[in-house]
Amino acid sequence: MHEPDPSNTPSLWHWLKGTWVDRMLLLLAVIAIAMSWQWLHQNLSGTPMVHIYHGKSLLATYPLHPKTPIHFEAQGDIGLVEITIDSEGVRISHSSCATKRCVLSGHRHRVGDILACVPNRILVSIQGTQKLALDAISE
Amino acid sequence: MTTSQESTQIPRPSLVSLEKKAYWLGLLLLASGLHVFEAVMPSFGPWFKLGLANIITLIALQSMGTKAAASLAIGRVVIGAFFIGTMFTPTFIISLTATLASTSVMLISWRFIPRISLIGVSLMGALAHMCSQFVVVEQLFIQQIALYYLLPPLLVLSCATGWLNGALATYITAQLTIRSR
Repeated sequence: MHEPDPSNTPSLWHWLKGTWVDRMLLLLAVIAIAMSWQWLHQNLSGTPMVHIYHGKSLLATYPLHPKTPIHFEAQGDIGLVEITIDSEGVRISHSSCATKRCVLSGHRHRVGDILACVPNRILVSIQGTQKLALDAISE
Repeated sequence: MTTSQESTQIPRPSLVSLEKKAYWLGLLLLASGLHVFEAVMPSFGPWFKLGLANIITLIALQSMGTKAAASLAIGRVVIGAFFIGTMFTPTFIISLTATLASTSVMLISWRFIPRISLIGVSLMGALAHMCSQFVVVEQLFIQQIALYYLLPPLLVLSCATGWLNGALATYITAQLTIRSR
């Protein structure tokens, strides 16, 4: 079998650089992401509130930093999802789903952060009291 | 006697065609293995995977063409779901839809964008995969547009993994070409 000559092996940069078309696509993608990021987060301000949804329906709203920890049990599609709001932020402390990815996500404490349990169709979203950019569009 | 035997015989496929099928099957098994490996390895965060199995789709695209790459991408999601045990669950629906969308984008990019390499194709595929994943989750499961606030940082990560996977696929394809000479 023919073995490649190590002296002719191109450098790491050779494999990573891509063509000028690839670099142009990357540049366009980065610009588009930066602009959408900026646009999505421009209205995220005000007092942070935790909104808990099941599908389209809003189940509960709590302040992000309550005086005493809050435990909320949401009924999802396949079982219960327990949401805890304490001094560290909000987290999904228990879920009936198989993968438990939502539980492993840990705490969220910034406005714009979300936690989701897809099999149960439960979404926990931290929103400011100001109207969100996306909400304004959907109305 | 000899004539009747000859007439009932099924025509044998050529060695080249058999070799091609065996190569595709080998790639499919490798892609399925990587798909399962990624599902069981520690997660880098919710919604996010490295997309290692897509490297094999890119190799198939370069070496065997668009049809082979598309069938391999769909095949590995189905086989992978059998092994992970997620068949017909939300995870499977999200994974299959996102794979269909990203493969379509990759094949269209490969076919219609001049001078694009596997790196650019992989980049487009990674971005399409992430976006379609969010659209499917928002439309079918969560139904809250607040979900999209998570999208931009994950797209940045997709750019990085898409680029690296494309570079790896280019390297592997080049090595395979050199060694098969």
